[in-house]
Amino acid sequence: MFINWRLRELNLKIVYYGPALSGKTTNLQYIHAKTNPKIRSDLVSLKTRGDRTLYFDFLQLELGQVAGLKPRFNLYTVPGQSYYISTRKLVLRGTDGVVFVADSQMHRLEENVLSLQEMWENLRQLGHSPETIPLVVQYNKRDLPQITPAAMLHQELNLNGKTPFFESVATQGIGVFDTLKAIINLVIARAQRQL
Amino acid sequence: MEAKITLTKDIAERIERILADLRTRARAESVLLADISGQLIAAQGDLEGFDPTPVAALAAGQLSAITELIRRIGESASQGSFLHEGREKGIYLLGVGGSFVLIVIFTSNTPVGLVRLFARRTAERLEAVTAEFETMVTTSPGPLVDAGFGEALSQELDKALGEW
Repeated sequence: MFINWRLRELNLKIVYYGPALSGKTTNLQYIHAKTNPKIRSDLVSLKTRGDRTLYFDFLQLELGQVAGLKPRFNLYTVPGQSYYISTRKLVLRGTDGVVFVADSQMHRLEENVLSLQEMWENLRQLGHSPETIPLVVQYNKRDLPQITPAAMLHQELNLNGKTPFFESVATQGIGVFDTLKAIINLVIARAQRQL
Repeated sequence: MEAKITLTKDIAERIERILADLRTRARAESVLLADISGQLIAAQGDLEGFDPTPVAALAAGQLSAITELIRRIGESASQGSFLHEGREKGIYLLGVGGSFVLIVIFTSNTPVGLVRLFARRTAERLEAVTAEFETMVTTSPGPLVDAGFGEALSQELDKALGEW
């Protein structure tokens, strides 16, 4: 969180985390495509030649004046491929909230579990408490065959009933804005408690 | 929990003066300061032609990666840095106190040695100031977010994310 008192700006960082090919970049691409260019930056994507995220994607949303404040949300994704673990930890630095994008397909269950465990470990190492960091889970690819029911996925990921989750088809935008609004509301609620 | 950064009017002005001084001495086009999470803290100089927000995010990512690289080869005591000299423009990144990155953008007419020299001196000056505002979490000058903010923001989000 970065607060500029002089300009009354409140800057918050939200990271989209999750296993490879779960749809993190697709979320940001949809948000970028469907928001007014006046309130968002360009979408910056650092990709490999194979169009996979190499480092991170970045998009800033700036809502203008809200109750005398200028809130800005810096949205990042991490690269999902397993060997980019160091990069994921770097991108998580300074985050105010996390969206965990899970792949709903049955055969991706283990990757979801491992990715979430890794995320908790990285957050702990960065000094965040799993009990207090704002988290929203998105169960993506609900349009594909052979998917795990969302409630069962929630159980398998060992997430408690308080963690909000959304079913999504990010390629069609289903659930993308709901997820974004939910994490923003959680992050703001936490900021209100802290300030 | 990681540090929350609070920038008061006084500190913002001090940082801007330091950055402006660097810009003049190093004959730079523009000078930016970002925190290591990618947040733009302050900028001075000619910002036409590029959006400083993604530049700050990318610079922080680049410096984080370099700092991790040098740590892995046993060079943990050094501040990370990065220099690119292009045909028309160059960019120099330098770590400030482990939590910030100084970004200097210059034209090919500017001697690189000048940029490096004054950037290093500036990093030392900034280190003292940034250390001060990193610890200001509990001494904020007043309430920033009131009770109605969450609701107002929620309404604004519904408008912003639904109609375009």
